Amino acid sequence: MRFLYRALTVVGSYRAQRVMGIATLAGLVVTTAVGLFVVPPDAVQGDVARLLYVHVPAAWVMFLAFGVTFLASAAYLKTGRMQWDRVAAASAEIGVLFCVLTLVLGSLWGRPVWGTWWTWDPRLTTTAVLLLVYIGYLSLRKVADSPARRARWSAVIGVIGYIDVPIVHYSVVWWRSLHQGATVLRLGSPTIAASMLATLMFAFVTFSVAYGYLMAVRLRVGRLEDRSTGTVSAVSAPRARRIGTAEVPASVGSDSHA
Amino acid sequence: MRDVGYVATGYSLTLAGLAGYRYYLARRARKARRFIDALSQRAREGRRRP
Repeated sequence: MRFLYRALTVVGSYRAQRVMGIATLAGLVVTTAVGLFVVPPDAVQGDVARLLYVHVPAAWVMFLAFGVTFLASAAYLKTGRMQWDRVAAASAEIGVLFCVLTLVLGSLWGRPVWGTWWTWDPRLTTTAVLLLVYIGYLSLRKVADSPARRARWSAVIGVIGYIDVPIVHYSVVWWRSLHQGATVLRLGSPTIAASMLATLMFAFVTFSVAYGYLMAVRLRVGRLEDRSTGTVSAVSAPRARRIGTAEVPASVGSDSHA
Repeated sequence: MRDVGYVATGYSLTLAGLAGYRYYLARRARKARRFIDALSQRAREGRRRP
């Protein structure tokens, strides 16, 4: 837990953020160029298999992001420190983005290969459930009335919701599935050509750096928003409502306090 | 090249999704900063009053 917090502190520095931003941009350009024009097409699926270099890394970052949400939620429940709640919320938001990307890219891949945009396959269904769980997590954060209650409720969902992640991963093993099984993370050597594996590994690194970058930016935004809402409750909520630059519940402050 | 449309759409959506989220975060940061500035200004004005 201490390691995670130290890593986030390093990642959150302004210089690290800039470096990661540039690295993400460069990595995405290289991944796109190599994935589209350099790597040969798949022997069976042809060019559509080029979606591998964005679909699989997006799924990896989705697991990573929800894993960080799980750890940060557990840390919040143990310590009660609000910074863990901020980390969990930031990571869940990014996880939802990558979950949507994974599903959309999978759908685009499924149409030419399976002949359908969507099917109630175990892998697809459990991933859709995962998306709904974390959309619920983010929705809950909007409705809870006090920061402490919001943090506690969402930490409980952050821990329980993670149960679906191993189910998504092992769904292709446990049930009969249209989705292919593990190609890289499996016992024995990977069943993928060396050039494709190298490109895929590069894309994994690029997407992981992109996650680190978005996390750093999102944490900065979270700190700013917390500071702004904290200032509101302490100084003048009606002023905040009038200038319309923040969502302030009607219960916070009144004109008589201004 | 077969099925190029699906591949192009997939890569475009990925890049657009990441760029869009980064832009959304920038807007949220700007909004929060503007809000903090407005409150600081109000606090300064309040202190100046006799």
